[in-house]
Amino acid sequence: MLLHRRIYQFLIIYAIGLACLLLIKYGLGLSDYVIPGPVDIWHTGTEEFERYFFDVLNTLAVAVAGQVISIFIALLVGIAGRQATWFGSFIKVAAYNVQAYPIVAIAPIIFILLGDGLLTRLLIAAMICYFPVLLSVIGIMAEPVVDIEHFYRVTGRMRWQLEVKIRAFENLNKLTTVIAGSATLAMAGTIVAEFIAANAGIGYSIRVALYQSNLAKILVALFLIGITLSVYQGVLELSGVIIRRAWTGK
Amino acid sequence: MSLQIQNLALKYPGSSNFVFQDLSFELKEPGFNSLFGPSGVGKTSLAKILTGDMPHFYGKIGHEGMMTFLYSYNTERLPGWSGVGKHLEKITPAGRLERREELISIFGLEDCLRQRFSQLSLGQQNRVNLLRYLLQDFDLLIMDESLANVDELTREKIILRIKTLYPQRHFLYISHNVVEVSKFCREIVVLRGAERHPQSIVIRGQDARIDREIDRGRLDQTMLEIVNASS
Repeated sequence: MLLHRRIYQFLIIYAIGLACLLLIKYGLGLSDYVIPGPVDIWHTGTEEFERYFFDVLNTLAVAVAGQVISIFIALLVGIAGRQATWFGSFIKVAAYNVQAYPIVAIAPIIFILLGDGLLTRLLIAAMICYFPVLLSVIGIMAEPVVDIEHFYRVTGRMRWQLEVKIRAFENLNKLTTVIAGSATLAMAGTIVAEFIAANAGIGYSIRVALYQSNLAKILVALFLIGITLSVYQGVLELSGVIIRRAWTGK
Repeated sequence: MSLQIQNLALKYPGSSNFVFQDLSFELKEPGFNSLFGPSGVGKTSLAKILTGDMPHFYGKIGHEGMMTFLYSYNTERLPGWSGVGKHLEKITPAGRLERREELISIFGLEDCLRQRFSQLSLGQQNRVNLLRYLLQDFDLLIMDESLANVDELTREKIILRIKTLYPQRHFLYISHNVVEVSKFCREIVVLRGAERHPQSIVIRGQDARIDREIDRGRLDQTMLEIVNASS
């Protein structure tokens, strides 16, 4: 159900966007060179579908890996920074300050230092989706669930593992939403990295299409990115629902 | 084992008003006692001072022979990832399995053990929560409206059995039910607010027990004294 809804939503938005473009084209009488017609877009789609599809999968694989890394690190740092100690405050302040700086702006430095291979794409993807996830995790982990934690605290049973478990359980909806939402950021981060300097992935293909001024190719690439991301987010949300049902029993 | 409160004063940071000032009373013997008074008079604040959760106060608290203070309240919850029975198993100290089973039976919770906490009624939730505190080591257990959602008959049964099972422990029962505190409590500390003198009056309750009938006339008298003290 979630998966279907995601795909429907994307198809509607894509169709509206495409319709607006065509409206501009025919309204202003623009040539096919500026905005291609529906037939051109369809032909480009059939020609480039297979290549772009694998490019998107390539990008998605990097984005997923980057997202997993960023979630893992955000959980570690969020758990360490949850306490009202000097270290906890330091981590929180550092996270808030660092996330205010656009990661995209330092992407060229990473390319210069690490080259245009897989590692650079992975690193940028992870960095772009890491901070929003971290802020959410810190917010969740730093907020005591007093009505549940009180008993364990006063009876001396509270351990950090139990504290994390209680807070994660009580905020399961928020956590799954943040993780599903961070998929978009990871994908965007990977595409941006590929667009800047990489030699593979759909971002790289878009850059090539841009140099060719081929809007049809870009529209096909956008369609594939959107549909793949919708499926991925839908799968993440579905997994969240399954985990929630198993853990909460409802 | 006695509890002495001497010249206790509390003011919240940023507030110009005292919650209480120069509050003094003594509960000399273990038993089922009560903190009574209108909302906002400082019952919960006093409870938190006693358990050490509110460190910024003035005055002296003497608790000769008492080491462990616990505070329970009626909106507490159990984690929702497993059934109530499993949670109770995990928090039962070694050697108290029989006591746990006995309390489950007294509290009428046999049918709830497989359910998760959120699936229980409010009254059942109150009972489960109180039960797990009764399984712990404590010298003083503060029950802040801990049975507020439990029906009257079950509440009476539970209180009477607690008094029988734990005769050497201190209980401070916080409730707004004047009949209940008059009937079941040995001493009722009526908190009257910082602007009044004295700020608290200790009234002798009827201390009902399973094996002791209470006199209706004396119960009415106690209720009247409590109402007069708090108004």
